[in-house]
Amino acid sequence: MKSRISDAICVIAAILVAVPLYWMVLSALKPEGEIRSDSPRPWTLEPTLDAFRRVLDVEGFGRYFLNSAMVALLVVGGSIVLSFLSAVALTRFAFKGRTVLLVMLLVAQMVPVEALTIPLFFLVQSVGEVAPAFGLNQLAPLVLVNLAFSLPFAIWMLRGFVAAVPRELDEAATLDGASRFQYVWRVLFPLVAPGLVATSVLSFIHSWNDFLFAKTLIYSSTDNRTLPQALLVFYQPDEQDWGAIMAGSTLMTIPVLIFFVLVQRHLVSGLAGAVKG
Amino acid sequence: MKRAALLALVGALAIGCAPPQASHDQPQGAGEKTGELQVWLFAEPNDEPKEKVVAEAKKEFEAAHDGVTVKVEYLPVDGRANRFNGAFNDSNSSPDVAEFGNTDLAGYVASNGFADLTDELAKWPEAKDLVPSVLDTAKVDGKVYGIPWFTGTRALFYRTDVFDELDLEPPTTLPEVAEVARAIRKAKPTMYGIATGGKSLYSALPYVWAYGGDIAEQKDGKWTATLTAPEAKEGLERYAELISDDICPPSACAQMTGSDAVAAFAAGKAGMVIGGDFNLPAIDAGAVKGKYKVVPLPGTETGSIAPPFAGGNLIGVFRASKKYGLAVEFAKLLAGKKYQQKMYDAMGTLPTFGDVQSKLVASDKSLEPFVASVKAGTKFVPATPAWTKIDAQGILPTAIQQIATGEQSVDEATKAAAAEMNKAFGG
Amino acid sequence: MTVVGERRPAGPVTSKATERVGDGRAAVRYLLPAGVLLLAVLAYPLYQLVQISLYDYNQPQASGAAPLRFLGLDNYGELLGDPQFWSVLLATVVFAAVCVAGSLLVGTALAVVASRARPIPRAMLFLAALGAWATPAMAGSYVWLFLFDADLGLVNEVLSGLGFTGMEGHSWMYQRYSAFAVVALEIIWCSFPFVMVTMYAGIKGIPAEVIDAAQLDGASWRRIATQIILPMLRPLIVIATIQSIIWDFKVFTQIYVMTNGGGVAGRNLVLNVYAYQKAFAGEEYGMGAAIGVVMTALLLMITVLYLRAQQKAGWSA
Repeated sequence: MKSRISDAICVIAAILVAVPLYWMVLSALKPEGEIRSDSPRPWTLEPTLDAFRRVLDVEGFGRYFLNSAMVALLVVGGSIVLSFLSAVALTRFAFKGRTVLLVMLLVAQMVPVEALTIPLFFLVQSVGEVAPAFGLNQLAPLVLVNLAFSLPFAIWMLRGFVAAVPRELDEAATLDGASRFQYVWRVLFPLVAPGLVATSVLSFIHSWNDFLFAKTLIYSSTDNRTLPQALLVFYQPDEQDWGAIMAGSTLMTIPVLIFFVLVQRHLVSGLAGAVKG
Repeated sequence: MKRAALLALVGALAIGCAPPQASHDQPQGAGEKTGELQVWLFAEPNDEPKEKVVAEAKKEFEAAHDGVTVKVEYLPVDGRANRFNGAFNDSNSSPDVAEFGNTDLAGYVASNGFADLTDELAKWPEAKDLVPSVLDTAKVDGKVYGIPWFTGTRALFYRTDVFDELDLEPPTTLPEVAEVARAIRKAKPTMYGIATGGKSLYSALPYVWAYGGDIAEQKDGKWTATLTAPEAKEGLERYAELISDDICPPSACAQMTGSDAVAAFAAGKAGMVIGGDFNLPAIDAGAVKGKYKVVPLPGTETGSIAPPFAGGNLIGVFRASKKYGLAVEFAKLLAGKKYQQKMYDAMGTLPTFGDVQSKLVASDKSLEPFVASVKAGTKFVPATPAWTKIDAQGILPTAIQQIATGEQSVDEATKAAAAEMNKAFGG
Repeated sequence: MTVVGERRPAGPVTSKATERVGDGRAAVRYLLPAGVLLLAVLAYPLYQLVQISLYDYNQPQASGAAPLRFLGLDNYGELLGDPQFWSVLLATVVFAAVCVAGSLLVGTALAVVASRARPIPRAMLFLAALGAWATPAMAGSYVWLFLFDADLGLVNEVLSGLGFTGMEGHSWMYQRYSAFAVVALEIIWCSFPFVMVTMYAGIKGIPAEVIDAAQLDGASWRRIATQIILPMLRPLIVIATIQSIIWDFKVFTQIYVMTNGGGVAGRNLVLNVYAYQKAFAGEEYGMGAAIGVVMTALLLMITVLYLRAQQKAGWSA
């Protein structure tokens, strides 16, 4: 009986939450005349891909998309390895200064990264003098920066997952005489996989979303831009091309959404696992 | 004890080392002779014609220089500071050539941003035809830091069809501008009486000047803000009056830039606008082609003209450019006589070469109101490095917005703005 | 996954003398890659940020055209003496508090509801929430801006259709409070899913017997929720709150995009955007850095105070 009320609330909430998304996709599909109409209708009888075409016609949109995807995937890869190793160290090894490190992980998340753009700009520039591929206007420093800024949260979250693996397994493994390294990679890693999936989603979003570092560190190269900057092209003074902005936003959201839906099950069960730890 | 030692260490670290700085020296020699030449130009409303001219120059340049590609990027004028500062801080992969406004010259030079082109111009035959007063706007302490590309003057555009329909006469004084604008909005509530905004600085300055005020004055080499003088306050107040619900509603206009305003007029959304000669082709490309006329922006009395701002853009070479030789060559090509003429044809921008200019102006009737405005005497923003900062911080637009939205009184807003300006002047 | 949980003895691992040997060294090896990266890309720039905040560091200084001048704490002094800083600070705190409270309330409430719902409605809610969560900040900002657009937006159309004709052509992003409200809605929209999923996972982690037993005892649903579920979720709520505080206090993209860099005459500025504007638009990098340092200190303080309050309230995990 209670459940029915809950069902209804669920459905209503789902609809409310979905409205902006629906509106985004709908506006992307509306013909231009309807977008500019003062009385928007919640449907369209003449869906068109014009807006998407305008977006894809922009010089380099595909390239920006690939750049964004490449950076995000590298960040995810790096974050899986680094956060796993760190989480294992922080939960499975006893050593001095562990608590200090944990507190620092939390502090690291509090630093307003926007303020760090100035020193980072100079850092990346001087690195570029030695290793040009890691200099300004290159994608590599963007990977490192996004990786570094998503790492504290990833480690923080993954700790719970690692802690959830029963310690009896550790003991069993040492009795077998497996080396610690083998144990960590062969046994622990697969067991923590759902957690890794969950954290990697968040790292992916973090990197995919990044607008500021991309804008600051890739300030002049038009080839190495990422997606958020491409979206700005349509937000012109006094003549916003809403259709194209919505189409661009849709294109930008889809990869993340796919990623999310694929790992949704792991996300929820993963978090549940983390909680028990 | 341990903690004190740690604190001392941190303190020593903080004071001991200095924060990072870039370094740029005047380029020596031509540098790299092949590769990609990066060029930054400004994006303007409807600037396809500009892009076409530049594409031609790019083609010509690439044909003449083997192994060189020219990559042009159009930056929005609003928010340019971030991009230029990025380039100034970068001594490794900086762009090579850029268009920039003469108001930013002093600031950019103080930041070591652009290369000293004095010697290059001395060797360039075309340079001797540059109008001396215009060339002066490219100089700091007698050295030239950019080739003047075009100059621009603003005047009052109005819709002839709307004025005829409502039986209105073009305004002859500044108070009349507001009256006429009010009448237009009253009759046509979907239109702005005059499109102008909190961020349209070069529309606001003529008001200050027309009422006899100025934003700053220089005494013994030191600049001080004069915004709090009664004349300046009256000018700003009269201007802010335009940003009101019965002329140009603040909800739409408070954030409007000069380009936005021109775009709105070109789209047929406004009865009037303060626009530049360089906006003519853009407006002709819009919905109001053939339905507008231009008169000088009037002053406070009938027959007087509000002093326009003496705008103009330069083509400069980044000091950190690794292709100094090529960059100078491209700057000379793009800002040379041939392409200035093409830019005039495409965009209506006024050339900076005396011979080219006199030939064109005599034959072009659409330039008359602009020439008349210039003859009445132009004015300029404070020629000091601090101006770039004052401009980038949006000090004046903030004051205008505060007055227009009624958030602060004219006295409060100008007082705060003057204090900010004086801080930037190094007071 | 708890903060205070670290006070527990570290489990059986430490009790074995054989395993303790080499733990420290192994830990160093495991932590090295992440440590090096974080030191280089986070700690070192942070150190430089503090340095820059102690100097008169403007554009000419950055590009090496003017000598550096050491100011000591002058930037901080000037900042604290600037009335705009205090009004921005106040706006930031209130705005962040609204966003944090909103996401937590919505997220937790929906998690409780979802745990009571049947699979299909629940799946619908989760799908929609995941969609909101997945929407990049930039895209989300634009979508909400469009929904609330004065002339073309759905919201005004619906409101005027419902009889609020005054809302036709109403500009939401112009007035200070309504602009903040729209941005806050967007932020709650895209950040409640994290809370919801976490809480849902937590609720699922509560043994069913506990709730069944309570129901058998005749406890009302409200009682079960407030006296059994919420206390058991408490560690999670603490975590979610801390994360939300950290995220919402530092909000940047939404304010920057939706209010066009801080609203008319900067009345929609929050600290992070204020620092950015000071540093990059105003070319006062030293001052921008000082704001950044103050922000970090404030966040640290808020978090510590919050954790203290939680501990005092008797929570220990």
